[in-house]
Amino acid sequence: MTTLATLLRHPQVQGLSFLAALVLGWEVAADVGVLRPYQFPAPSRVVEAVWEIATSGFPEGVKLTTHGLVTLGRILQGFLLAITLAIPLGLLIGWFPVLDRMTLPVITFARSVATLSLLPLAIVWFGTGELSKVLLIAYGCFWVMLGNVVAGVKYVDPVLIRAARTMDASGLVLFRRVVLPAALPRILTGARVSLGVGFMVIVGAEMIGTIRGLGALIMEARTFYRADISLAGIAALGLLGFGFAIGLGALERKLLPWHRGLEDVRR
Amino acid sequence: MSGLTGAPATGDAARPKIEVVGLAKRYADVDAAQPAVLERIDLTVAENEFVSLVGRSGCGKTTLLNIIAGLIAPSAGEVRVDGKAVTGPGGGKGMVFQQQALFPWLTALQNVEFGARTRALSPAARRREAEQLIDLVGLAGYAERYPAALSGGMQQRVAIARALALDPQILLMDEPFGALDEITRIDMQHELLRVWSSRRKTVVFVTHSISEALMLSDRVAVMRAHPGVIAAEFRIDLPRPRQRTHAEIVALHDRIWRHLN
Ligand SMILES: Nc1ncnc2c1ncn2[C@@H]1O[C@H](COP(=O)(O)OP(=O)(O)O)[C@@H](O)[C@H]1O
Ligand SMILES: [Mg+2]
Repeated sequence: MTTLATLLRHPQVQGLSFLAALVLGWEVAADVGVLRPYQFPAPSRVVEAVWEIATSGFPEGVKLTTHGLVTLGRILQGFLLAITLAIPLGLLIGWFPVLDRMTLPVITFARSVATLSLLPLAIVWFGTGELSKVLLIAYGCFWVMLGNVVAGVKYVDPVLIRAARTMDASGLVLFRRVVLPAALPRILTGARVSLGVGFMVIVGAEMIGTIRGLGALIMEARTFYRADISLAGIAALGLLGFGFAIGLGALERKLLPWHRGLEDVRR
Repeated sequence: MSGLTGAPATGDAARPKIEVVGLAKRYADVDAAQPAVLERIDLTVAENEFVSLVGRSGCGKTTLLNIIAGLIAPSAGEVRVDGKAVTGPGGGKGMVFQQQALFPWLTALQNVEFGARTRALSPAARRREAEQLIDLVGLAGYAERYPAALSGGMQQRVAIARALALDPQILLMDEPFGALDEITRIDMQHELLRVWSSRRKTVVFVTHSISEALMLSDRVAVMRAHPGVIAAEFRIDLPRPRQRTHAEIVALHDRIWRHLN
């Protein structure tokens, strides 16, 4: 009994047991017929669907690993393209107030444009191939990342800059040794949010001209009334996102060891 | 100014280190009808002298210190160090800020090393100097901690060590103990005097505590607000460490208090 109590105090165990309870409730609800199978197939049915996609594929021959890898590749390409552009640009804009004033309206506008509304234009400009998909993801990731990098630099605590200036730091030294590390937490937050946007955009981006990718899988299943397949695809996408969140979290702890003290406060 | 007081500052035999001459400050974005933040400030600090600025909050102490540091420009008048006009920060003027200003991404030791960055020392010698300063402020054993894992008093000690790491001739301190509880504060005052006696500096020390100024300083300049002026100066020719209950301290406390009201 006491071992169970200690086990239940673990944050991970708490999170997982709640998830397990939800899935169990869903299974029961489907089995007793509260949920209709063609709308909400039981979790056991979804597991079977996962097996089906993993072995014979859906559509026939396109297996789960293919879907997963293709989606992963698109998100990573778009995301990496976005952040390699957004980080240097954001650092410049944040550091030089003139650039900030010049670009503010454009950034605000571009951020408010829903990425998927650009889908028809992306097709016209870049066709229905890989380029359109990657660029759509990059677009969504870019503006979020840019906004965060700019804010990270712009809102560095002025007293830190003053302190550095009394210690003869100026120009590039000031930027590299003070502004950059001070902005880093916000930059990493930007990367995390930006990657999340990538995961939101992917399903829409994969609506165009492809049967490969988890987004395509989710949409394709709909035409065959295979809600179980859609749910399996959603679960796979969610798991992928979950994996990235854990990875970025680990990266953050590695890059920001000094932030750990704050975590204790939040507990 | 000193003519206002019964204990006028004696003519400084020592060489003036800092001269503040006819200084005035008006923040640009503030209504012109408002009185200036600082007006006609004249202050001379001798080499190795410890001068405190006391005054109510809002009377312009931080502004004056920032101008002496070269962090903000005056509207009129000038600050001279060793006879040369101050045009910017750096160049041997160490500063301890009113707010927490340590770099949170650096350990205590690394913060202090940052202060010693521009000194002509080998990396090993710089590290040794930083370690000695950490010891000097009584933080041996805490060198590898990040600021977030230090108490407020410890953080202020690191900030003092970091400012000392510049090996500055001038140390500017803006209410460095203002956020501390009284017990820690008194400890820190002793600590500062100990540090100051082992590494002589010219110190300008801002505080809103009259007794703190009286325990520490050679001279106390009393500031008044709207506009911010130096209303009086008092010299304290008592050996340190001083007793809070010493008759002269008690009498000076009283007189400064009256000047503030
Ligand atoms: N950046 C600023 N812009 C406008 N007014 C300021 C600024 N900084 C300080 N002040 C004003 O100047 C006065 C003196 O402030 P400060 O020097 O911080 O006083 P103290 O340190 O004595 O409390 C206050 O009235 C404050 O509101
Ligand atoms: Mg102040």
